[in-house]
Amino acid sequence: MFKLNFKIALRNIWKNKTSSLINISGLAIGLAACLLLLLYVAYEYDYDTQTIDTGQTYKVMINGRDANGEVDGTADATPNAIAPLLKQNYPAVKAAARIEGQGKRLIANGAQTLKRTTYFADPDLLNIFDYHFIYGDKRTALTEPNSVIVTASTARMLFGTTDVLNRSVRYDDKTDLKITGVIKDLPGNTSVSFDFLLPWSLNEAYRSWIKRPDWGNLNYKTIIRMNPETDIKQFNRSVKGVIKQHASWSSNEMVLFPLSKLHLYDTFVKGESTGGRIDQLRLFMGLAIGILLIACINFMNMATAKSEKRAKEVGIKKTIGATRGSLIGQFLMESMVLTVLSTTLAIVLIELCIPFFNRLLDIQLGINYSNSSIWIGLMGVVLITGLISGSYPAFYLSSFNPIQILTKRNIKNGLFSVNLRQILVVGQFSFAVILIIATTVIYQQIQYIKNRPVGYEINQLVELPQEGLLYDKLDVLRERLAKSGAVLSLYQSSGTIATETSWFSGMEWPGSSEADKLQNFSQLATTYDFVKTTGVKLVAGRDFSRSFASDSAAVLLNRSAVKRMNLKDPVGQTVVAHGNKVTVVGVFEDFILGSPTLKGSPLVVAFMKGWGGKVTMRMNPSNSVTENIATIEKIVKEVNPAYPVELTFVDQLYAEKLKTQRVLGILSNLFGGLAIFISCLGLFGLASYSAEQRTKEIGVRKVLGASVSSLMQLLSFSFLKMVAFAIIISVPIANYVMNNWLQNFEFHTSISWLIVLLTAAGTLAIALLTVSFQAYKAANANPVDALKYE
Amino acid sequence: MIKIENLEKVYKTEEIETTALNGINMHVKTGEFVSIMGPSGCGKSTLLNVMGLLDKPESGSYKFLETELLSMNDKQRSNFRKQNMGFVFQNFNLIDELTVFENIELPLIYNKVPATERKRLVNEIIERMNIVNRSGHFPQQLSGGQQQRVAVARALVTKPKLVLADEPTGNLDSSHGNEVMELLCELNEQGTTIVMVTHSSHDASFSNRIINLKDGHVISEKINKSRTEELI
Ligand SMILES: Nc1ncnc2c1ncn2[C@@H]1O[C@H](COP(=O)(O)OP(=O)(O)O)[C@@H](O)[C@H]1O
Ligand SMILES: [Mg+2]
Repeated sequence: MFKLNFKIALRNIWKNKTSSLINISGLAIGLAACLLLLLYVAYEYDYDTQTIDTGQTYKVMINGRDANGEVDGTADATPNAIAPLLKQNYPAVKAAARIEGQGKRLIANGAQTLKRTTYFADPDLLNIFDYHFIYGDKRTALTEPNSVIVTASTARMLFGTTDVLNRSVRYDDKTDLKITGVIKDLPGNTSVSFDFLLPWSLNEAYRSWIKRPDWGNLNYKTIIRMNPETDIKQFNRSVKGVIKQHASWSSNEMVLFPLSKLHLYDTFVKGESTGGRIDQLRLFMGLAIGILLIACINFMNMATAKSEKRAKEVGIKKTIGATRGSLIGQFLMESMVLTVLSTTLAIVLIELCIPFFNRLLDIQLGINYSNSSIWIGLMGVVLITGLISGSYPAFYLSSFNPIQILTKRNIKNGLFSVNLRQILVVGQFSFAVILIIATTVIYQQIQYIKNRPVGYEINQLVELPQEGLLYDKLDVLRERLAKSGAVLSLYQSSGTIATETSWFSGMEWPGSSEADKLQNFSQLATTYDFVKTTGVKLVAGRDFSRSFASDSAAVLLNRSAVKRMNLKDPVGQTVVAHGNKVTVVGVFEDFILGSPTLKGSPLVVAFMKGWGGKVTMRMNPSNSVTENIATIEKIVKEVNPAYPVELTFVDQLYAEKLKTQRVLGILSNLFGGLAIFISCLGLFGLASYSAEQRTKEIGVRKVLGASVSSLMQLLSFSFLKMVAFAIIISVPIANYVMNNWLQNFEFHTSISWLIVLLTAAGTLAIALLTVSFQAYKAANANPVDALKYE
Repeated sequence: MIKIENLEKVYKTEEIETTALNGINMHVKTGEFVSIMGPSGCGKSTLLNVMGLLDKPESGSYKFLETELLSMNDKQRSNFRKQNMGFVFQNFNLIDELTVFENIELPLIYNKVPATERKRLVNEIIERMNIVNRSGHFPQQLSGGQQQRVAVARALVTKPKLVLADEPTGNLDSSHGNEVMELLCELNEQGTTIVMVTHSSHDASFSNRIINLKDGHVISEKINKSRTEELI
């Protein structure tokens, strides 16, 4: 019986090639989209789960309080004193590690020089993360200051092999280190992502102040692993005041947050996690399920549309003894067969798309076929999809009364089935229309943010890490670049202008209160030529100047800072920053330093010679960019020969800030488009089926003198009605949902009715095209053929 | 074998009520070959469908070998049907997706006959029906007469006690029609009880007894002497 049903299924698929193709490919695309999204969701969910005991691994977060004592910020920036203290005094803490990211640093095997990402870390990090050691011993790998752990790919790039234990490498062109461990490359979804790992003791050897416990400098991250039976709520209560005990002036409080959750729940309001990436992820999950549902609806529709053909088979089988159960089984199996075929195709599609997808989103997705949970998941999806898509046809078809079918009475598809099919099509298109509107609004919002004036000459700026001789020889560099004509001017600063890098509080100004000291200000430390190079707009005063010796104790403020301080005539006033009295010499217009979706926040640009990190240059626009870059690279290399020249365009850094929005934009465009495509595929199938079914009617009408256009109207109208209905339902929903979404942004566009109108018209047009293609074919067929056909 | 009393069947649609069977009384003896005749729309097919348990009457009694069938539930009816009855339709009603062999095999599968036994039974009947070289073909590849022979084969393969045939020759030309009638006769001679609906008095002449229907009533009954004498 199973064999026979299986045969019937295959023969049916083969016999109705067009509709099978539509079914299988539609379902395959839907499944591929769904699985890809779910892979992505799983990837994000697995963030930072590469630990030994994921449930007990926490990151130390610091809650800062504002002037009113309210928690106004939560971040994973901690003092260096917390980890040792917790480890020593709290038995519930099994391991505690400080880490400090160093960005990309030089690592060299003789002449083979690389610049790779590195961290300093306490040895306990190896008792928190579950690194896979290919060579070396994790118990001793980070204990000596002159040791280093490298990843397999770093080892291969430096030595051409991973078997490099005890070999020597030179770090940052100044220290020779012994390789004490080679570990498997880290996956993409870890927040502590490095190519080589340095011992904390080396950090202390370089900078002696790091040895001293410092409760004010929040420059480090702290990750801890707790003993399994710890009550974390109680533990959090007991450590809440620890910072205050050691630094009575501080209003900061520490709290542990699960490391594996931080990636997704990274938005904190008043110290409580309120969401974050998880919201976007939920959206994608909805999208995944929605797309799959659309594909399933296609499948159901096609199957029920075909029911008249299949009815005869059902009738006969029932007459000669089939039970309802066996028929349901048969139709479910048929949909399983199709689902399995579709899934196979879907996996091929995914494999083809993954490299593209990874590049697009800058992630490392992949199907791990040796992972049994992938197979279980896949089987689950096949089973569920097969059941969903097959259930309606199965129950509907098997309910036919045999004699009614065989005598062709009363089976004009029953009132119920027509209605359900219509409901399904309407539902499908409603979803598609919502997706299109959502997609366009998201796109518009991204454009809106992108087009927001940045406030400085973003396109002419390139930056470079300030390393090696670039501190002492900055003036040499400035002169040589200016002479070459490639660069108009340059400045050094503590961080890039493309994003916020540092904050401080404790600022005092004329009229400020004690509570105002808790106000956070963004800061950028620099020397000369900041305004000249960046092109930010001065509204009062002047840039730092070499002609004023007093400028060594001067600051520039942005408009928001002036507003926050409530200064009437800011230029010339004295304020206190970092405990020093400094003079305000200029005020400039707010530019976008933080997130482009937020309004400006107060920024202090301070003159500080010793705090560099970046050199930012303004290129000469009268030369081509490639010329400028070539000249800059050549000169920088000459001035600072030990380091590779790493120029970054500031506009690219700025674009990085829009990455989450970009991902959202790409995914919603891609999958929104797919949803519409699959819906139309279904409509196409349904229309062709309905045309085929009405061949005889069309023939008769034609013989009686109906015109092609009137026949096309006849055939298309019922479909267009459904699509129109879908539009009417979905527009208000989309409008509501997207308006809510836009409220998430301080800077946001509004939904334009033109877009909604265009979307509606576009959907109708696509549907019309799809349906009328079939209608035209049917209406133009020779009527005699049509009549013979029966 | 069959005893039918006061059978009534009413079809209700939105606009009209049609009384298809209006108090039918009839019987069929074991081994008999009965024809049902009458004008179009008089209820012949309805009667046959009720006898085949494919349709439920409003009232009346239907006894098959002393068992009352009308009180059965769907599952029982379905079981009874597949064990005791075979059907032949005017439009053959073969499953297009199955080959001749598979079509004939299907009722055996539903009767849970083991595979080797099935194969033997199907081959036996295929030989008897003279369609051996067609067993791998699909219905569309056969002539009408061949299709009806396959349909008859399918009706017989379970060795039913009763075969119900609704205008089995209606879609066939006379020579093919005669072939099918001869097949039914032969079957009847081997002991199978047959009830057949027909329009053709030529076909009816093959049977023992002819029941005439009109407007859902039995209006007359005629014994076919030439055939019946040999039976008695
Ligand atoms: N499913 C049905 N619904 C409504 N009326 C029906 C149905 N089946 C049969 N009839 C009506 O019942 C009557 C008897 O039909 P039928 O038994 O098919 O006649 P025939 O003697 O031609 O086989 C006819 O008037 C027919 O229209
Ligand atoms: Mg009839």
